[in-house]
Amino acid sequence: MKYKGWLLPPALRDFHEGRIWLKEHTTFSKGDIEKSINHKYFHIIEGIQKEPHLKCNRCHNDNLQLFTTFACSKCQQQCIYCRHCLNMGRVSSCTQLMIWTGPRAMRTRKHSLKWAGEFTVLQQQAANEMLESVKAKRSHLIHAVCGAGKTELLFPTVHYALQQGLRVCIATPRTDVVLELYPRFQTVFPQTMIHALYGGSPKQEGYAQLVLATTHQLYRFERAFDIMIVDEADAFPYTFDETLQSAVQKAKTENAPIMLVTATPSQKLLTQYQNKSYSFIPKRYHNRPLPVPRFHSLWSYEKSLKRGKIPRKLKQWTEERLARKEPFLLFFPKVELMKIATPLFQLLDANIMAVHAEDPQRKEKVLKLRHEEVPGLLTTTILERGITIKNVQVAVIGAESTIFTSSALIQIAGRVGRNANFTDGDVVFFHHGITTEMDDARTKILYYNKKGFS
Amino acid sequence: MNKIETLCLLCSQPLQSAISWKILLTKQFQPTICDRCSARFEHSPTATALYQYNDAMKDYLHQYKFLQDVALAKVFRQELHARFKLEKAAIIPIPMHPLKQRERTFSHMEELLKAANIPFIQLLEKTTTATQSSKNREQRIQAASLFRLMAKAHVEHKEYLLFDDIKTTGTTLRHATEVLLNAGAKNVKIFTLING
Repeated sequence: MKYKGWLLPPALRDFHEGRIWLKEHTTFSKGDIEKSINHKYFHIIEGIQKEPHLKCNRCHNDNLQLFTTFACSKCQQQCIYCRHCLNMGRVSSCTQLMIWTGPRAMRTRKHSLKWAGEFTVLQQQAANEMLESVKAKRSHLIHAVCGAGKTELLFPTVHYALQQGLRVCIATPRTDVVLELYPRFQTVFPQTMIHALYGGSPKQEGYAQLVLATTHQLYRFERAFDIMIVDEADAFPYTFDETLQSAVQKAKTENAPIMLVTATPSQKLLTQYQNKSYSFIPKRYHNRPLPVPRFHSLWSYEKSLKRGKIPRKLKQWTEERLARKEPFLLFFPKVELMKIATPLFQLLDANIMAVHAEDPQRKEKVLKLRHEEVPGLLTTTILERGITIKNVQVAVIGAESTIFTSSALIQIAGRVGRNANFTDGDVVFFHHGITTEMDDARTKILYYNKKGFS
Repeated sequence: MNKIETLCLLCSQPLQSAISWKILLTKQFQPTICDRCSARFEHSPTATALYQYNDAMKDYLHQYKFLQDVALAKVFRQELHARFKLEKAAIIPIPMHPLKQRERTFSHMEELLKAANIPFIQLLEKTTTATQSSKNREQRIQAASLFRLMAKAHVEHKEYLLFDDIKTTGTTLRHATEVLLNAGAKNVKIFTLING
C-alpha cells in the first residue's frame, strides 16, 4: 500500500521556521506551500500595513519618504511598496508575507564545546555574569576594550543555551564580522549546525540552531530566537538606522534576552544597563595596557595631497614603517582623498594597496596584509573594527574629520598591539586641528588603562 | 508618484537643490538624484538615444526592472521631457506581454513616459513572453515576429516614433517597425533611452 496523504517536507519546515518570507520568493513547490497553508502551518499577512499608520511588515519601516504608490498591473489597483528593504525582493500591498506557525524543527541538545583556551580573571568574571543573566532571562551589556577577547566570552553562554535547546542568534552590523566569526564558531562547536547569513550568502541546508547574521538579515526573521546576541552594537549603521534596532526586537521571541557586546557603548546604553546587568573588562587578554594614540599636526594635508605631495611628517612615518618592515594601516576620511593619495604612496613602495567599501577584493587584500605580502594598506573606516593583524601600526589622516567619532577612533586604535607577542605599537592621529572627539577617544583609552592597572 | 524627493533615489543621500534663476523662471521637474549619481551616467553621442550603456546604467536597469523599483521611472523625466516635448510623431512605447506585465506589476516603458508627462498611444502587442536578453545574437536576429497589431488598432498614414529602453542588435525595434509600415504607416522613427 502506498501512502496517499501529504507529508510535510522537513526541509520546508526547517527553512521557514522563524522566518517571515515573501510568498512568491519561496523556493519550495507551489503544491507543498498551498498544502501547508491549508494545514494552517503558515500565518499569512499583507506586505504593507495601512492601519493605524503605513508600515512595511517585513522591515518595519514607517518613513513615508520611503514608500511609493503606483498603478499595479497585478492587482489592478493603486499599490504601495517599501523602498527601504527593496534589495531583499519588493514588498508591496498586494504581496503576501508568510510566517511559520506549524510544527517546530527538531532541536538537538547534544552540542560540544571544543575550546582549550583559558580565560583571564576578568574574562571569567564577565562570562559568569553573562551566563547568570541568560539563566535569569535578563538583558546584559558587555563592555570590553578592543582585544579583550570578546568572542571567546560568548562561548560558555552560547554552549549553555544550545544545550537547553534554545535557538541562538549572533547579529552584527558588519558583514566582515560575520565572515570572521563563522569559521571560529564552526571549529568551537563542531556538532552544531551553524548558518552564516549576509547579503549574497550562499544557500545553506537544514535547520540551524545557531545563526550568525548581519542585522539587515534580521528583517527576514520574526520571533525566531530565544537568545539574541548583538556584537559591535555601536557600529554603523545599527545605531543610525532605527529599523535595524526594531529588527533585533522582532527577530527574537518576546521574553528572549538581548546580550549587547561592544568596545564603545553609547552613553544611552551605559545609563540603561550600568546599574543592573553590566560587565566591564578594561584590560586586554594579554594583560598589557592599550596603546595610547599620539596627536600630530599635519596642516593642510588635503591641499598637499591634491598637489601631488605627501606631507613630510606622513612620508617620514610611512618610510619608517617600510624600513622596519612593520605592516601598517592608513585611515582616510574620504574615498576620494584616498584615491588621490594611493599613487603617491605607491611611489614609496609599489606594493602598497588601497581598500574601500565597494572593493570586490577587500577580503583578499586584508589577507595579503596579514600574510605580509603587502607592506601596508590605505583604507576608509571600513577596516576600523573586526580585523586583527600581527604587529600592525596605525595612522589616521585627518583625524579631525566628522566621520572619525570617538568610538571610531577608539576602534582604530584598538587594532594595534592585539597579539600577545606584539603588545605595543604606534597609533598616530595626524590632524588639521584637534577635535573634542579626538580628545574624548584619548581620555577614554587612558581611563581604561588606569582602571585596568590600578 | 508625484511626491517631492528629499533623498537621492539611487544612493539615499539628502538632495540639495541649489536655487537658480533657471529653476525659478522655467518649468522644470524637481531633481530626483544627486549630482554624484547623475555624473555616473554617460550621454550618448548618437541622435537616437539619450545615454550610453555603462555600469551605472546596468545598476539602474537592475533596480528599475528586476527589483521593480517603479519610483526610478522619474530619474530621467527631465531629459525625456526635453527630448519629446516638441515631437510631432505619435509616440509608441514598446509593449510588454500582458503576462510579463502582470509579473513585473508595471510597464517600464509606459511609466517612463508617464513620469515625463509625455502623451503616448499603443497600437502593438507582444506575441511572445521570451525575453531578448535570454537569446544570443543569432537567435535574436532570426526570431519570428515579436509583435502584431492590436485588434482594433488603426494605423494612419503618418509618422510614428517607437520608444524602447535599450537597443543592442535592434531586432525588437526592427520587428515593430515592420509591423507598422506594413499596416500603412508613412514613416517610423526610433528612439531609445540607452544605446547598448
